Amino acid sequence: MTALERAIASPPPVPGIGTRSPVEGLDRRSVGFVDVLAQSVSAMAPSAAATLIPALVAGVVGSPGGTVLALATALLLSLLVASCVNQFARRIAAAGSLYTYVARSLGAGPGVIAGTALLLGYGFISMFALAGAGHTAALLLGRAAPGAAGSPLLPAVVIAVLAAVVFAVVAGGVRLSTRVTLVVESVSVAIILALVVALLVTVGPVDIRALSLEGTSPAAFAVGAVLAVTAFVGFETPTTLGVEARRPFSAIPRAVRWTVLGAGGFYLLACYSQLVGFHALGLDITGSDSPVDDLAAANGVEGVGLMLDVGIAASCLACAIASMMALVRVLFSMGREGVLPAAFGRTHARFRTPLVAVAASVPVVAAVPVAVALTGVPLWDAMGVLLVASAAGYITAYVVACAAVPVLLGRIGELTVAVGLRAVTAALLLGGALVAYLVLEVTSERWVGVLLFAGGMLAGGLAYAIALRGRPWLRERVGVYDEPVAADVLGADPLPAAHGGE
Amino acid sequence: MTWSGPRTGQGADALDRAAPAPTDLRGRQPKAIHSALSVIEEVARSGPGVTAHEISSALGMPRATAYRLIALLVEDEYLVRMPDLRGFTLGRKVVELASLVAPPPPPRAARSVLDALRGHIRGGIHLVRYDGDRVHPLDLDPDFPLTDEPRALRELDASAMGRLLLAELAAAGEPLPGTVRASAERVAAIRRETEAAGYARQVAEFSRGYGCIALPIRGPRGRLVAGLALSAPVTRVEDPGDVLDRLRDGARSLEPLLG
Repeated sequence: MTALERAIASPPPVPGIGTRSPVEGLDRRSVGFVDVLAQSVSAMAPSAAATLIPALVAGVVGSPGGTVLALATALLLSLLVASCVNQFARRIAAAGSLYTYVARSLGAGPGVIAGTALLLGYGFISMFALAGAGHTAALLLGRAAPGAAGSPLLPAVVIAVLAAVVFAVVAGGVRLSTRVTLVVESVSVAIILALVVALLVTVGPVDIRALSLEGTSPAAFAVGAVLAVTAFVGFETPTTLGVEARRPFSAIPRAVRWTVLGAGGFYLLACYSQLVGFHALGLDITGSDSPVDDLAAANGVEGVGLMLDVGIAASCLACAIASMMALVRVLFSMGREGVLPAAFGRTHARFRTPLVAVAASVPVVAAVPVAVALTGVPLWDAMGVLLVASAAGYITAYVVACAAVPVLLGRIGELTVAVGLRAVTAALLLGGALVAYLVLEVTSERWVGVLLFAGGMLAGGLAYAIALRGRPWLRERVGVYDEPVAADVLGADPLPAAHGGE
Repeated sequence: MTWSGPRTGQGADALDRAAPAPTDLRGRQPKAIHSALSVIEEVARSGPGVTAHEISSALGMPRATAYRLIALLVEDEYLVRMPDLRGFTLGRKVVELASLVAPPPPPRAARSVLDALRGHIRGGIHLVRYDGDRVHPLDLDPDFPLTDEPRALRELDASAMGRLLLAELAAAGEPLPGTVRASAERVAAIRRETEAAGYARQVAEFSRGYGCIALPIRGPRGRLVAGLALSAPVTRVEDPGDVLDRLRDGARSLEPLLG
């Protein structure tokens, strides 16, 4: 009789396994790989990034070849960070993403730093996405009803309506949320991909001179690569579905890796086609507000502006849904632990979503872009500021998470040299990138974004300090995740294996 | 024996849950499978809480290889990481693996009880085991094969041995598996009928003129662990008479052997 047969015939008792998960209430093990993937792809808003980032990076780098290289470098750096995030995702099934991971590794304090940064990332990107969707949808409506165009009320109303949609979809269940983002994002990517391919076909054979490196200094290249990293943030969002994903230790790392690879390929293709397109026309991409639109117009392709607007609005809406899904799950984890009021940790009995967290966060996130639209500040400028605050939050959380990898793995005795080196390299490179990014943005017209980020971090730290007062035990509570329950484990009470020598 | 209709009810849900099928097997993969199984064996040998480091030392396996294999086994839920994040224990799924590879035969004493029943009763005498919401064959009568064995084991609302488990699950308020297509009222009726009679019954569900009754075999704390079933012509099933007493005696003798 083998050891396995003996163990199955009479399972040894397994101590320390409960019958209920600490994160009970979410729809445990209910969504598959495609749903998980849909969430992370949507959170990156690849269509919007593919149309905006190349011109942005090219403006800093100064040469088309350098621009493509900067994007490729950002892709490699993001893959490195993703591999660090996956070290956690393969071991801990959580709803709190990097917040929970860091808390489990470095303790509650660093966990709250990562958590605050992550909340800023998700919150500001959701505001950005709502503003973007509202802005673009208002432009579309303006074409249909010229009378309404130009009124500040139109984008404000559109944003409010879209926020209500986000509320319903995020509250209505994890399966509904992921399926809606899947459909909306697929439409968006299909439109942009069709435009990019059409562009490549129109431009014709490749002119290698289009990708010269001339005029790019190493410093400019580095700054460009840092900017390009912001196109990748959001790839870690599937780690908020650790509780709800089926086979989470397989589905989530795969989704994280494939999102970075897929989006990276998409960006490189989009960037290349735009650069080649502008080169063929003898124009400068950095002078263009909407490169794809301008290229299409110059090549005489009709109706592209309209399709582009639909694609970007869809991408922004999917991004808002996916990012709010992630945000409410981090809030939910904090509520379960007591860092936030316990109500945040409550779930709706039928929808199995953290309804209080949704009700508390969606209106706040919607109010900012609505207010901006009403005050008449150009939405486009405000979006730049929101993006800076969001990217700073994301990258801060990534840096802390990468630094936390060797500590956790060392403690559980699973650290290998390769993984440790990768984590330290990622933390140092990304830490440098973060400093460079903050310096770059604080001296730009988007300095308010850096201020918002710094203020948010400070507020998060203060709120935690206040929450700790009189409740020192809170430190031990931080980091709840979906621990295995008796139903998962052979030999755990109260459901012993069926035929045993008891 | 007749084919009693298409097997249904195991479509999307079962497919969705199944692990991806191995598409090819080449190079070092057979060796990797061997190593993976030895990792499972090592966890079984060492008991709950064994760490990845201990597993790799015990097997003399390079650490990176062992960690990678453990990660794969955790992904597939054959191993479960303990709440301290250091240790591992066997996942409930290894039971599936083990029963696929080699279904454990019933003890010899149980087989002699079955032989005695088969010698005295005209009809098929079957023994099944219950595991969660599943029915596994332990010893099916070779002289009276089931009309549609996969359906009988899978569709809990169709066969008598399935209805026995269905009534038990319904009484405990446990979720019913996706293969149950009967309405809530129908399930409640099956439960009432089973509880009133003390056994579950099926008439002409699989082949005309034949039916089946299934008696519970209970383990400690009254848990349903196995079922003893008789398949016979409808008249016998509807009025089992003293056959029922024989079956009850048989079930009672099997209780200490299986419970």
